[in-house]
Amino acid sequence: MDQWISQIEQWFHQQPVEQIYVAVAVLALTVVLFVLFSLLKTSKSNTIVLAGLNGSGKTILFYQLRDGSPHQGTVTSMEPNDGTFVLHSELGKKGKIKPVHLVDVPGHSRLKPKLDEFLPNAAGLIFVVDALDFLPNCRPAAEYLYDILTKSSVVKRRIPVLILCNKTDKVTAHSKEFIRKQLEKEIDKLRTSRNAISTADISDEFMLGVPGEPFTLEQCRNKVTVAEASGLTGEVSQVEQFIREHVKP
Amino acid sequence: MLEQLLIFTRGGLILWSSCRGLGNALKGSPIDALIRSCLLEERSAETSFAHDAYTLKWAFHNELGLVFVAVYQRILHLLYVDDLLAAVRREFAEIYDPKRTSYDDFDETFRQLQKEAEARAEEMKKSKQAGRAPAVPGKKQGAGGAAQRDAKQKGNGAGGGGSGKDDGDGDGDSGKGRWLANGNGNGQEKGARERSHAPPGSVVVKGKENGGPQAGAFDVNKLQKLRSKGGKKSDNTKPASKGGEPKKIVKKNRVWDDSPSESRLDFTDPVDERGEGIVEAVAADQGESMMDKEEDLSSESEAEEEDEEVEGAKPGAKKKGWFTSMFQSIAGNAIIEKSDLQPALKALKDRLMTKNVAEEIAEKLCESVAASLEGKKLGSFTRISSTVQTAMEEALLRILTPKRSIDILREVHAAKEHGKPYVIVFVGVNGVGKSTNLAKVAYWLLQHNISVMLAACDTFRSGAVEQLRTHARRLQIPIFEKGYEKDPAVVAREAIQEASRNKSDVVLVDTAGRMQDNEPLMRALSKLINLNSPDLVLFVGEALVGNDAVDQLSKFNQKLADLSTVPNARLIDGILLTKFDTIDDKVGAALSMVYISGAPVMFVGCGQSYTDLKKLNVKSIVKTLLK
Repeated sequence: MDQWISQIEQWFHQQPVEQIYVAVAVLALTVVLFVLFSLLKTSKSNTIVLAGLNGSGKTILFYQLRDGSPHQGTVTSMEPNDGTFVLHSELGKKGKIKPVHLVDVPGHSRLKPKLDEFLPNAAGLIFVVDALDFLPNCRPAAEYLYDILTKSSVVKRRIPVLILCNKTDKVTAHSKEFIRKQLEKEIDKLRTSRNAISTADISDEFMLGVPGEPFTLEQCRNKVTVAEASGLTGEVSQVEQFIREHVKP
Repeated sequence: MLEQLLIFTRGGLILWSSCRGLGNALKGSPIDALIRSCLLEERSAETSFAHDAYTLKWAFHNELGLVFVAVYQRILHLLYVDDLLAAVRREFAEIYDPKRTSYDDFDETFRQLQKEAEARAEEMKKSKQAGRAPAVPGKKQGAGGAAQRDAKQKGNGAGGGGSGKDDGDGDGDSGKGRWLANGNGNGQEKGARERSHAPPGSVVVKGKENGGPQAGAFDVNKLQKLRSKGGKKSDNTKPASKGGEPKKIVKKNRVWDDSPSESRLDFTDPVDERGEGIVEAVAADQGESMMDKEEDLSSESEAEEEDEEVEGAKPGAKKKGWFTSMFQSIAGNAIIEKSDLQPALKALKDRLMTKNVAEEIAEKLCESVAASLEGKKLGSFTRISSTVQTAMEEALLRILTPKRSIDILREVHAAKEHGKPYVIVFVGVNGVGKSTNLAKVAYWLLQHNISVMLAACDTFRSGAVEQLRTHARRLQIPIFEKGYEKDPAVVAREAIQEASRNKSDVVLVDTAGRMQDNEPLMRALSKLINLNSPDLVLFVGEALVGNDAVDQLSKFNQKLADLSTVPNARLIDGILLTKFDTIDDKVGAALSMVYISGAPVMFVGCGQSYTDLKKLNVKSIVKTLLK
């Protein structure tokens, strides 16, 4: 052991000084370049958040995306479902596919604060709406959507939102156009009533849309789109498209 | 027999179900109702939950995050359910794998366990039956006797009975009497039972704190008793009041000291007949109501100070070696036992009680937190006290977060579109501040350009109508009054009709204060609410109340449910907490009221002027409670 060390020291002292300086400089440069690249490469998160009212089908959608089948059904979630995986439909694909971190946040009103834990890291948000039972829940759904769209973490980082009309396999489900119009109307009304009070514990931090004009989803600063899906039968192609769009491989 | 046994994760995925192929053959999805109204409301320490025709029992496996639920018909008293749940939990924990989602091989194990449990129960039933004389003729012997023994077994009457928990009913019935009624209930036809149960059953979900299958069972008898009692009471009060009236005129004023008696006691200004008066109307701006001001929370340090007494939850518990316990707390492998939790929970319960939380509520909360922590592994470098603290904080946050929207303005606007006035009724016991806070709410609504009308339905207390008249004059809003000694329900109805005629947006109805035990007054209140179906029933409670809050709210809800004429009884929709400025940090009344009724706190009154109305700041309350 000592022999090796002494040998190395001898060899070291034999080199000319410039070479050592050059070697060190090259090393430092590579390190700096590496650090710069890793910082500049926008480390985009791969988190997609599933949110929506109680009973809209988020947990089924989560398992559909993960395993391709809803298993034996679900009950009201008490805790968020969290998983990082490659989408089931893409398992067969070749090549390097980036796994998606999917989070399903419970929709029960008492558990709403949990959403705030996951929003700061989200690359996209899927707002699941029950297309079957839409009209009785229109106002709570619109309120929840309004709360999400006015949160500072959503607006500042321009998180894209997909409004997903779930349960479209049933005959009496509403169309996505109808749902979109209804939500826009409700949010318009909410705008006027919410902006009349400066809320103390509702975090109404941003004004939605253009005052004076009726609200449309295009007026949001972040991109909001509407799509249809059915969690039970597995018709989730539009969802997967959205996910792939925003979690770049 | 057991209808279904379900195993699911806390995230919502069903892992195994005992009846497959039929889908969810249960009526009305009782599991969802259980989760929503029991487990998420921090009542997971109760032993059973009743919903429609089913009773549900559950068990947790906190380490793996699993929930086991057994559903069976309410009229059956299956004794082996608890054993079965424990056995199932044991077996399933061994085969559980977070990656697997289907456990078909568990069917065999389950059937075996079920047979064993049933056999054990049969044995115990037979041995008990042999040693007992028949209790009551005409009763299902097996069920009754076994159920009674079961209650004795559990010690605190938990089991299938509500014996220990009928605080809300305030019954002093002996246990025997209760089981008698229970047996009678069993003997009745199912149809009749369902009818009498439907209202209490659905109310159990919302209003009552207890799992009340048995409370529902003898409600029939209780109602009969109450009816006869109530009849007697009203008979007593009527002649008394009638006797009082003519007496008043003859009675001489009592003179306490030697001052000359006043010649007239009626100080109402004669000009006041039309409501205009000498008193000037307030310039409608006393400033912004505090509802609209942002609360600036002082940024206190988040780190809580550890209590000296809670330190070392281990001494006195199991005799683990010091080194083992240190090592385990560092490596994070210690499994939390109930005995470890006790000292920390006791300290927490005492702390809550010093903050004026009702004793019963503190007890229930602590049990619920214990149920959710038992069996979990301690994280590394954490002490039991901090785990318990975090769990309790989460639980409190969950309870105080409103379940329904408290945005009144939005609802007012919605009602405006329909062209109907939005009716708010203020109820509560005597002297809590209904009329004062009604005026504050009117002021706040006025500031948002909503037209308000007051309805003076307190036709009992002297000066109540004048009080409202003064407020109406100062705020310059119309008031509908009919004087004293009129039926408040009819006055309210006419007030609402008047409001829709003159296009007022909101009608605020003031009622007389009444004690929760006063049967005829509660009936009158129920009649008012049934007749007028208000949009919001606000219970006004003072923050100074202690253990009585539990009694007040549960009795109010119960009476509203019992005496309602429609199947979906209107219960208390919101709470208005008053006199908040008089308590410094003893804010526990808010927690007791919200826990017992499930209704959110919509307003907080913190002073006696018009602007002293705030919203409840959940985070600061939780922080104050746990300080």
